[in-house]
Amino acid sequence: MNKQSIQKSAASGMVFGIIVIFFALIGFTVVISGLIQKALGQSLGVGQMPSTSSFLIFLGLLGIWNGWRASRQDKHETLNTKKVLGRSTIAGLVAGVLVMVYALIVGVLDNRGINLRTYLSQLSSESVRFFLFNQTIVVGILIHVFYSTLMAVVGGFLALASERSRERVKSTRESIQKWSQDHWLGKLQGNPYVSYVLMGVVLLLLVLLPRTWGAYWNYVMGTVGIYVLLGLGLNIIVGFSGQLVLGYVAFFAIGAYTFALTTSPEPHNLVWNFWIALGVAVLAAALSGILIGLPIMRLRGDYLAIVTLGFGEIIRILLRSDILKDFTMGPRGVRNIAGPTLFGRSFTTDVDFMYLIILAVLLSIFLARRWQESSIGRAWLAISQDETVAQATGVNTQKYKLLALSLGAAFAGLGGALFASRNQFTGPEDHALMVSINVLVLVIVGGMGSIPGVILGAFTLKGLPEILREVENYRLLVFGALLVVMMIIRPEGLWPARRPKLEVPVGQDNEPVHLPATVGGEK
Amino acid sequence: MEALRKKFSLTLPQNSIRIIRIIAALLLLALIIVRAMDVAAKSQFGADTWLRLSVSGLIIGGMYALIAIGYTLVYGILFMINFAHGEVMMIGTFGGYFVFEAFNAIQVSGADGNQLSFLNAYPVIAILLAFLAGMTIAALSGLFLEKFAYRPLRGAPRLVPLISAIGASIFLQNAGQLLFGPQRRQYINPVVLDRGIGWNLEVAGSTVVLTYTGIFSLILSAILMVGLYLLVQRTKLGRAMRAVAQDKKTAALMGINVDQIISRTFVISGALAGAAGVMWGIHNGLFNYYVGFLPGIKAFTAAVLGGIGNIPGAMLGGMFLGIVESVGPAVLGIDFQLKDVLAFTILILVLIFRPSGILGEALTEEKV
Repeated sequence: MNKQSIQKSAASGMVFGIIVIFFALIGFTVVISGLIQKALGQSLGVGQMPSTSSFLIFLGLLGIWNGWRASRQDKHETLNTKKVLGRSTIAGLVAGVLVMVYALIVGVLDNRGINLRTYLSQLSSESVRFFLFNQTIVVGILIHVFYSTLMAVVGGFLALASERSRERVKSTRESIQKWSQDHWLGKLQGNPYVSYVLMGVVLLLLVLLPRTWGAYWNYVMGTVGIYVLLGLGLNIIVGFSGQLVLGYVAFFAIGAYTFALTTSPEPHNLVWNFWIALGVAVLAAALSGILIGLPIMRLRGDYLAIVTLGFGEIIRILLRSDILKDFTMGPRGVRNIAGPTLFGRSFTTDVDFMYLIILAVLLSIFLARRWQESSIGRAWLAISQDETVAQATGVNTQKYKLLALSLGAAFAGLGGALFASRNQFTGPEDHALMVSINVLVLVIVGGMGSIPGVILGAFTLKGLPEILREVENYRLLVFGALLVVMMIIRPEGLWPARRPKLEVPVGQDNEPVHLPATVGGEK
Repeated sequence: MEALRKKFSLTLPQNSIRIIRIIAALLLLALIIVRAMDVAAKSQFGADTWLRLSVSGLIIGGMYALIAIGYTLVYGILFMINFAHGEVMMIGTFGGYFVFEAFNAIQVSGADGNQLSFLNAYPVIAILLAFLAGMTIAALSGLFLEKFAYRPLRGAPRLVPLISAIGASIFLQNAGQLLFGPQRRQYINPVVLDRGIGWNLEVAGSTVVLTYTGIFSLILSAILMVGLYLLVQRTKLGRAMRAVAQDKKTAALMGINVDQIISRTFVISGALAGAAGVMWGIHNGLFNYYVGFLPGIKAFTAAVLGGIGNIPGAMLGGMFLGIVESVGPAVLGIDFQLKDVLAFTILILVLIFRPSGILGEALTEEKV
């Protein structure tokens, strides 16, 4: 083993050791072990620590990954038993020793009766003992070291085995693909009716599911639906026309408040019809998009992001402050917002509302697709690829950017109005920066400019955390990490846009054209 | 038909847009002046209030300036907004806090034999170490931030590193919340830097307290700014930084290790933000994981205000923003709740009317 290989293994071990320590510090080890225990079918009471075996499973998986990663340092070399054993042992040992040092410090401090929670909020005495497998400190840290090394070695050999069998797996996969292509998939792909059948099935599900799956699922899926709406709107702005807007919540707030103020008996006693108020809310949001957009259309990229963030915050602060108290009820928020009515009948049950949201989502998908595939969509694409070139080829960039902003804002207004109507309440805290960030993350993770991507993003990022209540606290942390990781390994998103990309090759030389900047005021 | 459309075309020539913008700016200025005079005529506040407001503005402004320098340094070199810079400051605040907490827990016997905490027995050492810790840990987080979140994206389209920076910001903020809890914490200052005490000035019949923490922060930020200016202007590292900011490729040809200079830039800006964070804690006392968000955005505003990429501009912008934010609501006669709105409005107005900032050179549209 050469020196470089040892260094790489040690680095991998260090990364994994730090990850385990970080997870322990933020209390994630306990939560994920609880989840594993539940997944194994064992019950777990509230406030009860999960079993040690589930924690061992979690640690083991991390250790295996560690060994796998440390063993496969270079794609082009062939592994052998000696290499794998050396590398994975080093990686496992390094990770184990790091974790051991952490466990030792925390364990000793806890044993001395120091309340660590005053400084690190997740380190209760129980969680420290849990981290030591409910054993004494010495036994606990030794288990950590041995287990980490053992699992890393297992991971290393798994990597070896996967490499040995790679050829076989590849040929098997190819033969399966070939068989399915020949026998059914190829035929189906050529058949125009398949997509109609699929659509029919989806429509049937959309009609039947809200009736059958109960109020809780209607609530969760309704939230997801509203986020699909918001995502589709932001997708028009960020994905189609390439303008990074961070204050999307401003339009959401304008839609929600317009709807709330026109339908609630307090503070203005304008009890408008649901549908009229809905239309007015959408229009108000679209208009605000134009109004906010007009002065800032010249800005690009980072500046636009931060200015729109400023707009979002301004609106939230104004809503919360006392000066608009008589107009918007200030921090208390608006109550008794109307639900949908049709021909004098009220549609406020969860099932009805779910149908309303589904209708709105379908309409939005339809509209967004039409726009994307029209000449407007091509103009947006041109702008998002290179604004200067788009302008030079005769695209009225200002007009199309404004159009994108106001259409996106209209979707947000619709989402906001539905949100306010469903909750029968809206207040300033419904419109925090977090909404903008949630929507931005789902658009980016799903795939900028891709409509199915947005839907997928909304389901995974808004639906999953609603179901996995335990991880709710970690949602934003994961979102942040996800944004960074996605940008590094898959900037086009989970379900990338289908449109062919005619990009100029991006290389080291493709930095933005800029004037020589000065640091220190020197010309 | 075509001729008719041309005649009544709504597209205005470039020049008239500029004139409209100037007229709009002047109108706005006139409105602000009229409003200010209106408020001043009522003379709601005495000289003491004005002094108190401007001093507190100056103190906060010094911290904004330190953070703004970080934005400007990074923007000057990488042309990206380091969105997570406010979080780097938050990390610095926590670093200083833990040092003070630790020293407060250690008991030593003082000169007269009494049991004292280390913090009060040796306040100078404690403060020095707190700043050292805050600056080091913030500098380190800046370094790792660059290494993990920005370096892999060198050369990608501009939106990509920006999104990564936003992600890093969210990540750090929530990691701070999960690690240290959402509750507000109180900085334990040494007795000599107690937040309540200071020099008492008699102004217009009432006492204005210039707190020691405030004066201390102001002086320290001035020292740090001068130090940074000298570093950039007089040292080899500073020259290399300026060279990289001007042209990365040529700088590399001249034998400068561009990656290393970029890392060091992040270290320097992180250290300044960390210092600002510790000052924030010492001066304001209460803080939590969210402490970096608003100062971060406001410092960015300050950097834009002064002309992004320009270090004296960032200093000036920071001071200016601090004072405007503190005095502005009184001048305009609006609620002090709205001081954040004022800062954001300034950001928007600057970007609309003078994107190059006060001291910045004219920018092409490409750069804005």
